[in-house]
Formats: sequence, structure tokens, C-alpha cells
Amino acid sequence: MVSYIARRILQAIPILLGMSIIVFAIVHIAPGSPVDRFRSPRVSADQIASLIQRYGLNKPLIEQYIAWITSFVQVWRPDSWGYSFLDGQPVIKTFLARAPATLLLTGCALLATIVFAIPIGVLAAVKQYSWTDKIINTLATIGYAMPSFLLGTYILFIGGVYLGWFPLFGMQTLGHKNDYLDIGWHLVLPVTSLAIQGIAAWARYMRASMLDVLHQDYIRTARAKGLPGRTVIGKHALRNALIPIVTLLGLTVPTLIAGAAITEFIFTWPGLGQTFISSVGTRDYPMVLALTMVGGFAVILGNLIADVLYGVVDPRIKY
Amino acid sequence: MDRAEKAPTYVIGKRPAELDTEDIDLTPVRTYWQLVRTRFVRHRMALISLFVLLALLIFAIVVPLLTGNEYTHAQLKTIGAPASLSAPLGYDEIGQNVFLRLAKATQTSLIIGGAAVTIIVVVGVLVGSIAGYVGGAVDNVLMRFVDVVLSLPVLFIILMIVSFFGTGNVTVVVIAIGITGWTLAARLIRAEFLSLREADFVQAARALGASHLRIVLRHILPSAMAPLIVAAALGVADSVVTEAALSFLGFGISRPDVSLGNMLNNAQDYFVRQPFLVLPPGIILVLIVLSASFFGDGLRDALDPRQRIEASE
Repeated sequence: MVSYIARRILQAIPILLGMSIIVFAIVHIAPGSPVDRFRSPRVSADQIASLIQRYGLNKPLIEQYIAWITSFVQVWRPDSWGYSFLDGQPVIKTFLARAPATLLLTGCALLATIVFAIPIGVLAAVKQYSWTDKIINTLATIGYAMPSFLLGTYILFIGGVYLGWFPLFGMQTLGHKNDYLDIGWHLVLPVTSLAIQGIAAWARYMRASMLDVLHQDYIRTARAKGLPGRTVIGKHALRNALIPIVTLLGLTVPTLIAGAAITEFIFTWPGLGQTFISSVGTRDYPMVLALTMVGGFAVILGNLIADVLYGVVDPRIKY
Repeated sequence: MDRAEKAPTYVIGKRPAELDTEDIDLTPVRTYWQLVRTRFVRHRMALISLFVLLALLIFAIVVPLLTGNEYTHAQLKTIGAPASLSAPLGYDEIGQNVFLRLAKATQTSLIIGGAAVTIIVVVGVLVGSIAGYVGGAVDNVLMRFVDVVLSLPVLFIILMIVSFFGTGNVTVVVIAIGITGWTLAARLIRAEFLSLREADFVQAARALGASHLRIVLRHILPSAMAPLIVAAALGVADSVVTEAALSFLGFGISRPDVSLGNMLNNAQDYFVRQPFLVLPPGIILVLIVLSASFFGDGLRDALDPRQRIEASE
């Protein structure tokens, strides 16, 4: 197991490097130069030239890339990810400041997803082809087909505008710093929006996985030896049906970090996704580079966790 | 009566009706595509979805064709005007006809979706077929590249490309969606090529001295198309949604052009005064996604040659 994990981490390194090359290339092939934002009649050509010198923009691309990537991996240094063009703060500092808000939002959404999706999926599978199953299936299909920005917009409209029960934007009301009740109040709509999508997807998986298990021989054996239905479903079937769901848990890691960007944008939630969207609009290159790398890192980490978890919960899998 | 004992006599030039029809297997021999059609038609949701997609397509082609650029006409006096015969969905926040804008938006979105999928299919087929056919080190390098692209945070990369290379530029949007989305197609094609490369009919073609290009284009590719067609059908819906997300975030299409996401973006700003502007583009979007996914499912089942249907059915 340990050697498997070690091998997977080693395999991830070239992928991360390849990704960093692509991301770096996109930024540097883009028309315009990062120093263009400083050009104005009040800034002399000499100053621009010294900026170019200072950021090393006159060096060959390969040298620039190596300088960037060697600095980037030294995360323990506060300036390793560079400074934001927008406010001059170290990118890492902004990242650390914004990450908790995103994790709070996506964590709550994931929790709500698990709590609702698993019973719903099991119910649909146990009552296959019944009206319950059909209704769950239809709702899940519609929820799945609903793009996040659409769902978010409608939920914001219903909960915030039409009913007016919940706040329209932000994470805290002005003047209420670290008021947990207030934050919870702000969480309701964005979490609902994310959770509906999550539940739609997970309930479908859960149903399929449960149906798969229910048709196995050992379930028939369990029924045949006279075990009550509750035990068969709850113990024999559910535990096995949860195995593929655990893999899903690993695959949600990138969603936890970068997947809520659009929802954050709609509800002006002060998290990483919202930061990314605004920094991409203002061409804050260091911020964009850093957040994209974090997003890619999350994808790779998620895949790794999914594979490892799969082995942990399913004793039949050997590495 | 046992058919083997009394073999039917076929007379050239005589109509089958004049033969002893009871002994002849009259089940017509059906080609692959006839079977596909039969299987597809039996898939009720897929069939309905096909009609929905066709209706949307006609809507997106015919309405803009008849009304030209009337969708751009904005008048002060029609701002927020209610529905009427000439504007079945009323007027929006700057006095433009919502129905006409919706038709044009559907058209723009479908064109972007189709163009992006074209890129996805072309790149996917190129990479997948080279990797699968050549194999060895080439395959290894190409597939590692696929792994890298697959690990990219797609939405972030698309936003970066669109923002840095031209916000609001349709071509940039299409290219951004296309070059980030081809990995699935490449994997599907590669898998097909890997198995078909050693198939008997390919060996036969090789023995007959067919060139590599001919083998790939004439023999392997047609047999490898089925999963690609399904992926393309689903890809159109995905691309339409991605474009809508971009425009919604303000990086895609913007006035005077119109797309579904752009309409939603505008509608969100006028929530309080005209709440129902968010409905029409949203409904069209969900219709496209739902029907494309049912259509894709039906197509997948229909194209699968292992799914046999009995003559009696």
C-alpha cells in the first residue's frame, strides 16, 4: 500500500510539471505584456524597462519558466507565489485568507449531499420501478441537467428576492464579524444550490450501485436464509454499495477547492473561485497562475485519494 | 413442417408471393443502419428528445432567418412591455424583443456548441488514432499528454484563455472549449483502434497491400465511429453549457450579440423589476442538455451491435 502510494505520487510529478508548462505557456503566449498595466503617461519608458528587468521579462521563456516554477514550489516562503498585481499582497497570503470560505461552503455542501443522497439512492433502488423510484429518477435527471449558474440564479431569485428570507450576497452582514449564526444564514442559499446538484449526481450513482449489489448472489443467500429485509438492505447490501461511492468522495476533492467558482460568483461568496474569476478579469497573472496550479493539484490529489480509498474500503483490491 | 426437409424453391423472376411463402424466411435482411434505426425508435425518450432537438434547431434557424437583425432593435417605449402577438415573451430591460433574442441566442449557442465539438472530434480522432495505430513510444507520449490535459482545471483554463485572448470573441470561445475537451474522444478512439488494429479484416487489408492511411481511413475509422458519435452528441450539450457559463460570468458573448448565457447574465441584473426574464434562456438550456443526454443514451444503445433485436419484435 505504502509503495503504491509512493509510486502514484512519483507518477503525479511529471503530470504536475506538464500542467505547469501549459498554464505558464497560456499566460505568456497571451497578447500583451504583464507590465502593460503600468504604462501611463506618468510612467517613463525607463521605469517600464526597469520593471521588465526586475520581473525578468526580457529573459528567454525557458529561464523565466524555471525561475517561476522553482520559486512556486517553495510554498513555505511567503513570496514564493509572487505578489498580486492588484493589491501588492503576497499571493499566498490572499490564498490562505480566501481558502477557508471556500472550504466552509463546499464542505457544508458535501455534507448535505452525503446526508441526503445516500438514503434517496437506496430508497430508489429498493423500490425499483415504483412511483417513488420514477419521481426520484426524474428529479435527479433534471437536477443533473441543470447547469450550476442556472440553479444558483433561480435559487437566489426564489430565496433572496421572491421570498426575501435569505441575504442576497456575501458571507457576513456588515458589522457582524465572526457571528456564526450570521454566516450560517448566508450559507443557506449557496449550499442549497451546490447540494441540489451534488444530490442529483450522487443519488443516481447510489441507486445504480445499490441495484448492482442487490442482484448479487450473496444477497439472495442472505434473503434465503431468512434474514429480515432491513438487515439484508442495511448490512449486506448497503455496505457493499457504498464502495464505489467512496471513490466519488476522492473525486470531489477538486470540486471542494475549485468547483464552486460559479456558485461563489453568483452569491458573491468571498472564496477562491470568486477570487479567480475577478483576477482573471483584471489579468492579475500571479494570482491566476497560482490558483490554476492549485486547481490542477486538487484534480491530481483527488484521483490519488480516490484510488487509495478504493483499496482501503474494498479488501478484495490488492496493490 | 421441418424447413430442412423441404427446402423452398426460388424461381428467378417470380415474385415471392407466388412461392410457397410459409416455408420461406421472409424476415428481410437488414443493414446495420436499419437495425440502428429500429433500436433507436424503440427508445421512447430518445425519440422524443430527437424531436425536441429538431424543434429547437428549426426554431434557431427559421426565426432569425425571417426577422433578420430585428432582435437588436431596442426602443424606450417597449422597455419591460408585456407579451403580445409580435413578442410572445414580452420585451426585456432595454426594450428588445425577448422571443427574437431567444431564437438568435439558441442559434449562437448551438453554432458554438457544434463548432467546439468539431474541434473536439478532429483533435480527438487525430490523437487517438495515431496513438492507437502506431502504438509503442508514440502512444505512450500522447497518452501522458492526455493525462496532463485531463488534470487541468478545465473551467479555470477556459476562463484564462478567453479572458487573455479576447473576451467576447466567438472564435476564441470555441477554440478554448475545443482544445480543453478532446481528451475523452481521443481515449475512446484509441481504445477502438487498439482492438481493431489486430482484427481480421484489418489484417486482410494489410495483406492486400493497403497503405497505412487507407487502412486507417477506410477500414478502422468507420468501425470506430460509434462511441465517437455518442460522445459528440453529449459534447454539443456540454459545450453549449460551458459557453453559457462563460457568457454568464461576463467573459463570453455580450451585447449586441446574444447567447443563452448572456441573456441570463443580463436577466440577473434586472431580477427585481423583471424576474421572469431568467426563465426563457434557462428552459431552452435545460431542454438542450436533457434531450442531448437522452438522445446520446438512445444512440449508444442503438449503435451497439451487440444489442440484438429479434425479428419478431
